[in-house]
Amino acid sequence: MPCLEIRGLTVDFGGIHALKEVSLSARTGQIVGLIGPNGAGKSTLLNCISGLTRPTEGEGRLDGTDLFSLSPHAISRLGVGRVFQHPEIMADMTVMDNLLIARNRFLKYGVLAELLGLPQVRRQEAESRFAAEQVLMRIGLPDIGGIHAGSLPYGHRKLLEVGRSLLLGATVLLLDEPVAGLNEHEIDRMATLLAELRTGGGLAVILVEHNMGLVSRLCDEVVVLDIGKVIARGTPTEVLNDPAVLLAYLGEG
Amino acid sequence: MADAKKHTGRAVVVLVGLVVLTAPFWMSGYPVYVLSLVGIFGLVAIGLNFLTGYAGQISLGHAGFFAIGAYTTALLTKKAGLPFVLSLPLAGVFATAVGAVAALPALRLKNLYLAIATLGFGVVVQKLLFEWQSLTGGGAGLEVPAPRLGPIVLSTAGHMYYLILAVVILGTWAALNIARTGSGRAMVMVRESEVAAGCLGISVAKYKVIAFSLSGFYTAIAGGLYCYLVRYINPESFNIHMSITFLSMIVIGGLGTIPGSLLGAVFYVLAPELFRGIKDAPGLVFGLSLVVVMVLMPKGLWGFVGRLWRRA
Amino acid sequence: MFFFSLIIGGLASGSLYAMVGIAIVLVLQASDIPNFAQGEMAMFSTFVGYWILQQYNVSWWSAVLLSLLFAAVLGVAVQQLVIRPLLGRPTMNLVIATLGLNIVLHSLAGMIWGNETHIFPSPLSDALPLNVAGLTIPPMNVFIILVGVALILCLTFIIRKTRAGIALRAASQNQAVARLMGISINRAFAVAWGLGGLAGGIAGVLVAPVLFLDTNMMGLLLIKGFAGGVLGGLNSLGGVFAGGLFLGVIENLMGAYISGSFGEALVFLLIIGVLIVAPEGVFGRVRTRKV
Repeated sequence: MPCLEIRGLTVDFGGIHALKEVSLSARTGQIVGLIGPNGAGKSTLLNCISGLTRPTEGEGRLDGTDLFSLSPHAISRLGVGRVFQHPEIMADMTVMDNLLIARNRFLKYGVLAELLGLPQVRRQEAESRFAAEQVLMRIGLPDIGGIHAGSLPYGHRKLLEVGRSLLLGATVLLLDEPVAGLNEHEIDRMATLLAELRTGGGLAVILVEHNMGLVSRLCDEVVVLDIGKVIARGTPTEVLNDPAVLLAYLGEG
Repeated sequence: MADAKKHTGRAVVVLVGLVVLTAPFWMSGYPVYVLSLVGIFGLVAIGLNFLTGYAGQISLGHAGFFAIGAYTTALLTKKAGLPFVLSLPLAGVFATAVGAVAALPALRLKNLYLAIATLGFGVVVQKLLFEWQSLTGGGAGLEVPAPRLGPIVLSTAGHMYYLILAVVILGTWAALNIARTGSGRAMVMVRESEVAAGCLGISVAKYKVIAFSLSGFYTAIAGGLYCYLVRYINPESFNIHMSITFLSMIVIGGLGTIPGSLLGAVFYVLAPELFRGIKDAPGLVFGLSLVVVMVLMPKGLWGFVGRLWRRA
Repeated sequence: MFFFSLIIGGLASGSLYAMVGIAIVLVLQASDIPNFAQGEMAMFSTFVGYWILQQYNVSWWSAVLLSLLFAAVLGVAVQQLVIRPLLGRPTMNLVIATLGLNIVLHSLAGMIWGNETHIFPSPLSDALPLNVAGLTIPPMNVFIILVGVALILCLTFIIRKTRAGIALRAASQNQAVARLMGISINRAFAVAWGLGGLAGGIAGVLVAPVLFLDTNMMGLLLIKGFAGGVLGGLNSLGGVFAGGLFLGVIENLMGAYISGSFGEALVFLLIIGVLIVAPEGVFGRVRTRKV
């Protein structure tokens, strides 16, 4: 049963077709790769799913619920996690705070309860902290909770962002170039984490990447975009050997 | 070595605490009054810091909330005879509602656009207070009776000092609670990246409204205490200059931090007192001190204290 | 008829707001800093002009020219001595630093020239009111409007066609690329601040004859300059200019027809109203951030 389904997505920006009739689906336990030359519309597609861009036409459903009429925070509360190309973290707060922010949607206390320091606040904070510690272990960084987030190296920030989506309770993960800017060791670490997430189940992943090795290693299916249109679709091997795909990439240079 | 540091820190806190708790007993009227002002401005600073420091929404109109608090409290006391335990919180609640409403047009505004819109808020409030003469006395001002609770009347400087101290302690504790929990984190995330906040399940609009409301609440309570302290208020004083002063206070003290709010208030009230003695040039030295602090202490006074502490 | 004289008067005060607004936007576009010291910088340079006029027997034009020269130099000096060392710091810090500078200049002016009000002459002081189509128009108003238009035209020309202007635009849009093209960011900023200082100085010498010269002369004008700029949109000189003019006219009209005392508050309500519909000003472009 498809988890996330996008059909006929078209986005026009004042005469420019950022996306034209793009269809895509991702099921639980599946990693779908989204590749294409720069400017192909990959980020636009992710932005539509996250609710940051309104499509001109098309349908997007998560387990049947229409996504394109919802606000970004409503969409994320449905379980759509987004990892941006450049990590957006609160540099002045601790790593733990940066994770706890993802638990906000589960918190059941209001501002008044916070001001008065009521016990339910403390209890829920403790529960959230516990969940965050679990995630830190899962992403392989168990001891960094108390560290000032601004001092985290780039690679750890990217892992943190993935962890944040997990804590959010994401069932769909939208990853925008998760290994861009990472060194070999960091790439391997991220790849291992993503592979574990895939086998661990429970997540459908859309992976936008330029690193073809990663794409081959992780993706069950790959969709290729060029100038807003899908030009190829299939397994990594099929797609990476497709002459049309090669042409699209070479053509941009 | 770490132990010595911890003990020194503790000693400083205890010393300051002792001075603050016993001040009226050994200080004369004027210094007590000055310290009372520090407390009041400290509350304003905490309030403004929620909005501008945490949530990143600049406000050049907080004199408006201060005035709303002052006048609401004054009128509730004068015309409805309410005790201060009712008039102050009610003024706070009213300002909270005003803040929530004022937030709505501000949701899509940023930076200078937001600054001018909030400036407009302050101007409108001040104008309303001037013009609604039947209610506020207009430009003639309003005399404020002493705060009372049943038979107890807080008529001396010492009484007011302890009321203000109690409210500051309570307010600081509550503010620290907010900073450490969901709302505090959400406001900071909104400042950091509205886009990322939205994708983390946080309603940006909701938290901007919360920031405005919370900020209005604290500032209005401070305004209420102010009217009880000075016993005479006039719309003239709640002007643009005051709003700009509030903003500078939190930047100098340390934007987005609660200790910084209090330090900023200390600086803003005490520095002019210190410089008063300097012949011909109190304003000059004060202005220079602003520039100097900004050059030497990028994270404000509290950041500087933190830096010294880490280096010790 | 009264209506038209209100419009002319409004255009004149609007021109002054526009000039201050331009001064602010030049600096804002270049170095991303709202210069809160702009008002007092202009007040200071106007006092310098006044002092030259009193001390030395020179013509009004010479004194004003020297005052404007001082204004431009002051702008560059502020940029080099205060702003440059603080680059890279959070914007709020720079804003507060300019605020501090504001206070310093205000106090300094008071110390040097005292806090009394002075009469600042203008070459048009003795000129007769113009009589156009039955309307009596103060010639000063016409002069101010003409100067405003001339300023925006000159600045637009400088920004678009001269080397310095293009360097300025490049530096403000993309510092990294500008540097690669051999543009000195520092010099570009200096030019921006110098031009900003100049624009502010022009506003100062035009306001002084009308509002009388004292240390508080520019206080409200700075706020109105900001407000007009926000109304029009801070992205373009043209937007700021239009916003300032509009502000002046609306202020006059509202003051006359709706309520004298409420006029100012109403104008701000209007600005808020406009911003609700157009969050970056009437002519502002909403900048989207790539994620």
